[in-house]
Amino acid sequence: MPAERAGYTVTMFLIDVSPSMGTLRSVELPPAPNGEQRTTEMTNLEWALQFVKLKIQEMIFNGRKTDQCGVILFGSEETDNIIHEKNGGYQHVSEYIPIAQPNSTTLAKLDALQPSENSGDPIDALIVGIETQDIYLNKKRTWTRKIVIVTDGQSPMEIEDWEATVKKMNGLAISLTVIGVDFDDDEFPFHEEDKSTIKLENEAFYHKLTSALDDGLVGTCAFALQEIARPDMKQTKSALMGTVLRLGDIDVRPEEAIEILVKASKCTALARPKSWKKFGRREKTDDQMQVDEEEDTTVFAQLKMRSEYYIDRSTQDGEEQDKMDMGSDDEEDKDKNLEMVQKEQLIRGFKYGSTYAPCPDGQFPRLNTRKGIDICGFFHAKNFRRELAMGEVQYLWADPGAPQQQVALSSIVQAMYEKGVLAIARWVSKDGMDPKMGVLEARVDTNIDFLLWVQMPFADDVRKYTFASLENLVSKNGKSVTKHPYLPTEDQLEAMDKFIDSMDIMDSGEKDDEGKPVPWYDTRQSYNPAIHRTKQALFHSAVVNDIASNPLPPPHPELLKYINPPRWALKASKNAIRECKEVFKIKEVPKKAAKARKDGHVRASDEDEDMLLLDKKPAASHKGKEHASQVPASPKLARSAKKSVASDSETEEESDQEPLLLEKRPFNALPTPERSMSPDVDPGRAPGRIIGSTYPLRDFKTNLAQGDVVTKAVEDMGVVIKEVVLRPFASRRHKEMIECMIAMRDTSLKEDEIDAWNAFLRDLKESCLKEAGNSEFWQEVQKLGRSLSLISEPEAKKLGGHSEFSESASEAVS
Amino acid sequence: MPPFDDWNIIDEEEDEELQDAAFFEGKRDVILFCIDCSESMHELRDDPNYDDVKTSHLFTALEAAMQIQKKKVIVGPNDSVGIVLFNTTRSSETKNHATEIKKNSFAYQPITIISAPAIQELIQLLDAAREDPDLLKSTFPPLTGKKMPMGDVFTSCNWVLRDGAPKTATKRVFLITDDDNPHPGSKQLVTSARTTLLDLTQSGVQIEPFFIATPEKPFEPSKFYSSVLLSNVLNDEDEDTGVLPESISITRIDDLLSQMRFHEVPKRALFSIPFQLADGFVISIKGYGLVTEQRKGIYKYFIDLGDHMEVANSRTVYVDEDQQAEVDKTEMVYGMALGTAPVEGASDDEGEGGDTVCRVVPTGKRPFYTADEIRSFRTLDLEPGIKLLGFKDPIELAFEDNVKHSVFIYPDESKYSGSKRTFAALLKKMIEKKKIGLVLALTRSNFAPVFCAMLPQAESTEEGGWNEPAGFHLIPLPFADDIRAAPLETAFRAPDELKDAARLWIDKLCVKDGTYPPDSHPNPALAYHNAQLQASAFREEFDPEAFEDLTRPKYDMIHKRAGNLMKEWKRALLTDESANVVPVTTGSKRKADVSVDEAEIRSKHEVGALAKLRVDQLKDFLKSKSQPVSGKKAELIERVSDWLDAH
Repeated sequence: MPAERAGYTVTMFLIDVSPSMGTLRSVELPPAPNGEQRTTEMTNLEWALQFVKLKIQEMIFNGRKTDQCGVILFGSEETDNIIHEKNGGYQHVSEYIPIAQPNSTTLAKLDALQPSENSGDPIDALIVGIETQDIYLNKKRTWTRKIVIVTDGQSPMEIEDWEATVKKMNGLAISLTVIGVDFDDDEFPFHEEDKSTIKLENEAFYHKLTSALDDGLVGTCAFALQEIARPDMKQTKSALMGTVLRLGDIDVRPEEAIEILVKASKCTALARPKSWKKFGRREKTDDQMQVDEEEDTTVFAQLKMRSEYYIDRSTQDGEEQDKMDMGSDDEEDKDKNLEMVQKEQLIRGFKYGSTYAPCPDGQFPRLNTRKGIDICGFFHAKNFRRELAMGEVQYLWADPGAPQQQVALSSIVQAMYEKGVLAIARWVSKDGMDPKMGVLEARVDTNIDFLLWVQMPFADDVRKYTFASLENLVSKNGKSVTKHPYLPTEDQLEAMDKFIDSMDIMDSGEKDDEGKPVPWYDTRQSYNPAIHRTKQALFHSAVVNDIASNPLPPPHPELLKYINPPRWALKASKNAIRECKEVFKIKEVPKKAAKARKDGHVRASDEDEDMLLLDKKPAASHKGKEHASQVPASPKLARSAKKSVASDSETEEESDQEPLLLEKRPFNALPTPERSMSPDVDPGRAPGRIIGSTYPLRDFKTNLAQGDVVTKAVEDMGVVIKEVVLRPFASRRHKEMIECMIAMRDTSLKEDEIDAWNAFLRDLKESCLKEAGNSEFWQEVQKLGRSLSLISEPEAKKLGGHSEFSESASEAVS
Repeated sequence: MPPFDDWNIIDEEEDEELQDAAFFEGKRDVILFCIDCSESMHELRDDPNYDDVKTSHLFTALEAAMQIQKKKVIVGPNDSVGIVLFNTTRSSETKNHATEIKKNSFAYQPITIISAPAIQELIQLLDAAREDPDLLKSTFPPLTGKKMPMGDVFTSCNWVLRDGAPKTATKRVFLITDDDNPHPGSKQLVTSARTTLLDLTQSGVQIEPFFIATPEKPFEPSKFYSSVLLSNVLNDEDEDTGVLPESISITRIDDLLSQMRFHEVPKRALFSIPFQLADGFVISIKGYGLVTEQRKGIYKYFIDLGDHMEVANSRTVYVDEDQQAEVDKTEMVYGMALGTAPVEGASDDEGEGGDTVCRVVPTGKRPFYTADEIRSFRTLDLEPGIKLLGFKDPIELAFEDNVKHSVFIYPDESKYSGSKRTFAALLKKMIEKKKIGLVLALTRSNFAPVFCAMLPQAESTEEGGWNEPAGFHLIPLPFADDIRAAPLETAFRAPDELKDAARLWIDKLCVKDGTYPPDSHPNPALAYHNAQLQASAFREEFDPEAFEDLTRPKYDMIHKRAGNLMKEWKRALLTDESANVVPVTTGSKRKADVSVDEAEIRSKHEVGALAKLRVDQLKDFLKSKSQPVSGKKAELIERVSDWLDAH
């Protein structure tokens, strides 16, 4: 079938406005954000009109002058059609919108449609439609004719002589589509219960009618509405652009140099979602109020873009940028100094650092280049670095009107193909245009040989960032490291091996024509969700009056088919994934406050968020301090750390708020929470620990909340408590430590860390009662009695654990 | 492209996806060159490039600093640079400097936005030093007998940066020295160096050392620098891996400039997002743009304020034209274009009768979307991240599956610990199994999701110390919407003899083990533009003749190697029978044959009678030569005779 010519079409919409179309129906809406099912009520007419409006919207969207439509109603109050004027009859059929290119008023008019009091005959309407269309296309015989009937099939029809109508329609090559409200469709599937006899008969007739036509179709409205959302690609035919493929110097050595006339056309071209127009709600002015008095409406006006130029008088060169960076803080301040300038006063130029280089034309003279594609050399395809390809791909064909050129190109393409080489080429699209470098690949197709071009980077386009090696880690004394948390172990490699095998999607289970397995995912079937979803949304907003009560339906399933790995691959990889999770032990690092920085600069990525490896090797001693300071245990610590270096606006605010804390510092050199403002005083957390001595309780809780580090948390907690208690002047933290112990005991009991608690408690007792210990603290612990005692066997049993101590022994220790 | 003002205006909504490079342009970069001025740096050596010319490490370092400035000023006109020399007795009595800096260091250029005069001053100094090799020594006399404590050097850097660098910029110190052990035996000085360097790092400054090694005097970082730098240099990446920082460059002096080039642009990640290998199996990665088209700068508007030129900033506002009212961004709603304004019904729907298109709806109804809704349509409500879909054979990634440049991903331990080992294992196994990945990538919250091929890259070391890093390249795949069908399906084919004739010269012109070398193709148009920009800023005359385009084919080499074979091939082509075939024209609506053959046109041209030909004949001829067919008859005649003259 020859491709349908876009445009040059008149579509007649024949719309049923009989009373039965006013029946209310409940339409499912996409689930609310909370997952709740929602429905809305609308008449069958409103519902079916969505189809018409979407079709018309598509015409508006494409904006072709030759894509026109007309609307004829049947069942209308009045009778207004060309046949009735001439011959009478054809009651309750009226031409509602004359044939023309549709626009927003067309849609507005459809919105105004209401079901009437009369019923009309669709066959009458069909004949009127054919006639109206035919008269309109009197001089445009080649145009495509389409008729769409939208009906619920509840009105009586005069079906005699229908064969004559079919003959007429086939003669004019009219295609007919019948969109039926709640028509039965076995394939969709849909079946209406309690269908009226008349509708049953009418449906049967429509099927008979359309199958008698060369081009006829009946569809149920729900299916039509779904299919209209199917991604529909806009076929763009690329123009063939003439250019020359050259090899050698045609000016100096024309007898040797080669020139072939070629045409270039696009092979890939990035398609973008349609742009949205911006609208603003119009505030009502007084006189408008009067005009609009009778109806309560809101006007949305389409906005236009305007550029304004202004200079900043307050600052000198260069500073203005800084101001902008500061954000909105001093917005007002800034505005005062801004001065609007007229574009006419301005001169174009470039900035060369702080120097100004005038350039009134907006560009300097261009490099002198000659149109054409120059081959610079060839290289083996296996050395091609695929990741350097930069842009869209172009076809390169020999001139289709010049057989000799075709033979010439064909010989080169075949030779390149045979040898397996690519050509390096320099492309100038027009005389004087900037050259591009790229490579040409030879393609030998069934009946034609051609080249493909892709742009490659210039030296200026390649960034050589350095990255640490992933495999070869070198210790600071120059030795190669073979075991490190960054290096995968044999087990891990093996798990990954299985994972890759199980997630192989080369065989989707389907076979191609030659019986070879087809891989999952095909670029030719992957629709750009952004484009099609945006288009769907655009159309939806154009045809509904309120998107809050009538939100956008979900995307068409076709759009989502590659969004997740295929189910069979997921099933096959289940075990491998589980194994990977076990051996790789990936842990999400809890979010931490940003490290102290003197300036407010935050890089694009959060490179200043440091990592924390639980199974980290103990760091070299001189690094301990540094290292710990990089893992502020809590946001508060980080904030105070920032304060200690506060010197700019970023932190000013905070230092203003809490100046007291800063002043306190000299009085006391103790590692108390309030005091560890600077990471240098007490980083609070030793390397490899997950609990810091600064906010032990909080760290403890945070870690527990994360789960699966309980043992480590309890162990570290014990160490930290002991450490704090045994420090000089610990008395001010006794209360806090008791709290910590309560939490620790509680956790130990519940999480079966009873032995750890009991061991810790005995150790603590011993340490406290030593000479340089802290017997005072131990007395406090004792006072609390059982709540901080050893955990006894009966107590442990209650929660399913067990203990080596009896009840009495527990009491005795504390 | 002709200058067109509207191209300067970036419509955020539509260009969001184009900006990945522009995204950084707001960021400013500050480099402080911190150059050792000790006696060994001053020592005169023979210039490797010119006979009878003496040079010194200091000279080369200053020259590199100048070259970097020249380059930077074009890439980032808002970037700042400064030069501090240390181990010199020249004192900084400079009056304009806010604070005194440490003794024996000298702020040659305080940190300022790069300007033409500052570069020119440096060029003049270098030119003079080339004439008189001792000039540098007398201008910046070296400190003899002892070395300035490195701690003081870092403190000076800190002060200089504090005074001059904008707060929001990326700040880096390029440390250039040839002394691997400035303080032998002094533990205290080592400690103080480390502490002051820590201060510097904490204020957001990175140190990028360039150590100069000579055959006689190799540079041993372990003597002094590894213990001083370790914890700080790594600021960027792996804080406590216990491994040697990757950014220490030890180089021969001749390579100094090229080494600096690697570090010229600060390494910045485009995105930092999770990479989901499977449900619940997630690591974190960062993405870098290793290949991005470098474009000419955009011109700005200036206004003459009498004494100086001031940049005028532009701001885009959206207005309701009928009401002349500016609408705030937060108030805007988005919808479909309403089509051409209806002609006849204008007065009904538009109260004002202006040309603004309006949509009237009952109060309380909103047939428009908010900005957030618009975003969710584009992203399908997916969160930024990369999702693995499966593994394929490399053959599945065709040459033509390309629409834009790739991005490079590298693991990041900061969000998920264990990312590196997982990434390394994946990479290793994919290379071993010769697989590529298929992923769905949504790299930034405003972007649309896109399918990408994930190409593993093994680590490799090249000559010159440049490493190909280990990681994956993400190559965005075209969607069905981006693919255009081939417009032609048949053409004449060459017989084998002709193919073999072509093969002969292709063999001669094929580079053995070659590939496409980006490095040997600097963008000529960009260089040409920048050279003119520099000349304009320096108020010098630009000489187009002196400009060399390195991307032009090497004609001499081509003709020397394959000229005769190409001639042979051409001869074979002419004798090929297809040369005489008249293309079969299809289609019924062919016009009467108006074509005049080339010989006839040429003879008309020779007697100056081209004007006798009809316009359609001229156009047909031009069309057959792939020449434009626009314009009046006189222009066509001119074009035809131009072509005939040239061929």
